[in-house]
Amino acid sequence: MQRLDIKFSKEIGSYDKFNAAQCFNCGTCTALCPMGINILPRILFRYVLMGMKDKLMENKDAIYSCLLCRMCEDNCPEGVRIAENIRVLRRYIGRHVYGL
Amino acid sequence: MNTDAENKKIGVFICHCGGNISDYVDVEKVRDVIKDEKGVVFAKTNMFSCSDAAQQEMIRAIKENGLDGIVIASCSPRLHLQTFRAMAERAGLNPYRYTQVNIREQCSWAHTHNRQAATEKAVRLVRSGVARTRLAIPLQEIRVDTTPGVLIIGAGAAGLRSAIALADMGLKVYLVERSPEPGGFIKGLGRLFPDDRDGEEMAHSLSKAAIEHENITLFTEAEVVEKGGSVGNFLIKVDIKGQNPASFNVGAIIVTIGFSPYTPKNGEFGYGIKGVITLPEYKKLLAKQKRGVEYAGKTVRSIVYIYCVGSRQSAGDDRYTYCSRYCCASAVHTAILAHKLDPHISQFHIYRDIRTYGKYELLYTRALEADSLFLKYDPDEPPTVEKTNEGLLVRVKDRLTGNEEIEIGADLVVLVTGMTPGKGGRLSGILKIPIGKDGFFTEIHPKLRPVETVMNGIFIAGTAQGPKTLSESVTSSLAAAAKAAGLLLKGHVDIEPLVAKADADICTWCGACVPACPFDAIRQVEIKDKKIAGINPAACKGCGACVPACPKRAIDIEGYTDAQIRSMISAMAREAK
Ligand code: SF4
Ligand code: SF4
Repeated sequence: MQRLDIKFSKEIGSYDKFNAAQCFNCGTCTALCPMGINILPRILFRYVLMGMKDKLMENKDAIYSCLLCRMCEDNCPEGVRIAENIRVLRRYIGRHVYGL
Repeated sequence: MNTDAENKKIGVFICHCGGNISDYVDVEKVRDVIKDEKGVVFAKTNMFSCSDAAQQEMIRAIKENGLDGIVIASCSPRLHLQTFRAMAERAGLNPYRYTQVNIREQCSWAHTHNRQAATEKAVRLVRSGVARTRLAIPLQEIRVDTTPGVLIIGAGAAGLRSAIALADMGLKVYLVERSPEPGGFIKGLGRLFPDDRDGEEMAHSLSKAAIEHENITLFTEAEVVEKGGSVGNFLIKVDIKGQNPASFNVGAIIVTIGFSPYTPKNGEFGYGIKGVITLPEYKKLLAKQKRGVEYAGKTVRSIVYIYCVGSRQSAGDDRYTYCSRYCCASAVHTAILAHKLDPHISQFHIYRDIRTYGKYELLYTRALEADSLFLKYDPDEPPTVEKTNEGLLVRVKDRLTGNEEIEIGADLVVLVTGMTPGKGGRLSGILKIPIGKDGFFTEIHPKLRPVETVMNGIFIAGTAQGPKTLSESVTSSLAAAAKAAGLLLKGHVDIEPLVAKADADICTWCGACVPACPFDAIRQVEIKDKKIAGINPAACKGCGACVPACPKRAIDIEGYTDAQIRSMISAMAREAK
């Protein structure tokens, strides 16, 4: 059971421009991902929106496997800035987990 | 003109309908067989019978040949019965001596695989049309003078709006409301979607306009208890609390009794626990707040909305299987209002499907921008609500993360409840208008006759018909007002004469036909000191239910007499070749 806490998403949101609320879970991004990262980006982004910090940390590999090729972003019907969001997450993890 | 069936001169026109009919029915062959049929003096095929040119030609043929009746074998009468009746009239022929035979839907479209059989069937159908027409007598439409008044039952937004529209057209309106005040559901609900207009203010201004209108009489705490008469002249009796009953005549009736908001059962999604409230209760709460959201003296920081409560349920005793249409948009709009009161509030929407259709999708986007978070639940695994030491706890499996199990702490849980039918059970019996499987009043056709009921002169509008948004309610109420006015402003209605008629010589007034009539059209009358069944042509629908009930065979339906039906059957039974 995960407890929802939007403080975390507000923290990331204010920390940088994280945009994912518009995602309507169509899955276009997942289907197009050349790395075949299943969780990326829609489920991963929901973890952030719902404040599920632990789940996010469990998926650091996925966050760093992304090629930032923007294939998904070009085709997202809702205009979610997927690659930029991944950068925001990397910056957050870099600062808070690795102390960079 | 000949009235004797033996000497009738009948004309038959068979339509190609482009290729719609002639591709699968040999129309020339049909013509060749039919032209030798008894009574047929003229037979021809047309490429498009409904075209202006073909109609001109048919008018000429009727006049030149002195035809006593015509048969057109073409498409469905639903499409062109009126077209061809009008054509017959222009040719000086009584329109009820015209028969339309449907050889498109019944032959060419139904039997595309077998041209010969389709052609033979067409021959039989046309023959039976000829047989019916030979026995047809000229009929006149029944003209009924109308009373320029309308009864509107229910003074909510829909009832008030249609009352004002009709009163402005100069018609007298009797508005009957069950509760002590007009205004209906929107009273006290605060701001309403999509334009943020205040429900209280809207109910007040509509009520004021109605009360002040010289053509509107409003009865509150009143109920319709009796309806007599028929279209154009209904006699209405209304019981009024603490007063003498009122009786008056109207030409038409509009039913706008509205709906009842769904009340969750005790324990349903935690209903009954303090802090678990319905959407209307929540809207009333917010309407009173100036800044921040407070419930029971405490500041609310987290709100969980649970959607589809009382809608789209597939099992249970009093199940509501339909979508209530207004609740998603209303909940999303209310979340935007709450965000304005307190931008730091956390709002979680647990939904099955968000149905903010049409323009209301903009509201959904605005709610997203106002930090609302949406979680999707599976109807087989609905969310649960319980009370803990820390407050309310909602548990749900979020389908969008692949069924992640999630807990949300909430200060307030809002159950987004749907609409259930208004309390009109008795009314349906009094007015004799049908109720559909969902418990709402039903129209004749959702697209083509959306506010008309099977009872001539009785209309339905607003949420009495089924769940609707406020703007859809008002739209339909104005449609009903336009229909009622269209009926009454002329001063008379013309009714199709294809109705039942009892033969005074044969009828012995046994009364067997009375309970058979679903439209309450038969009463005892006295003609030359003899009691017989009198059939009110304005109420009779020509359904024929009384015909087999009569032990004396005294009743016939005009245009479909026993003799005509018998002649049609024998014509159809003959060898088609
Ligand atoms: S393509 Fe865009 S809208 Fe669709 S799931 Fe991915 S991020 Fe969401
Ligand atoms: S059932 Fe026939 S005979 Fe009896 S009252 Fe009706 S019409 Fe007359």
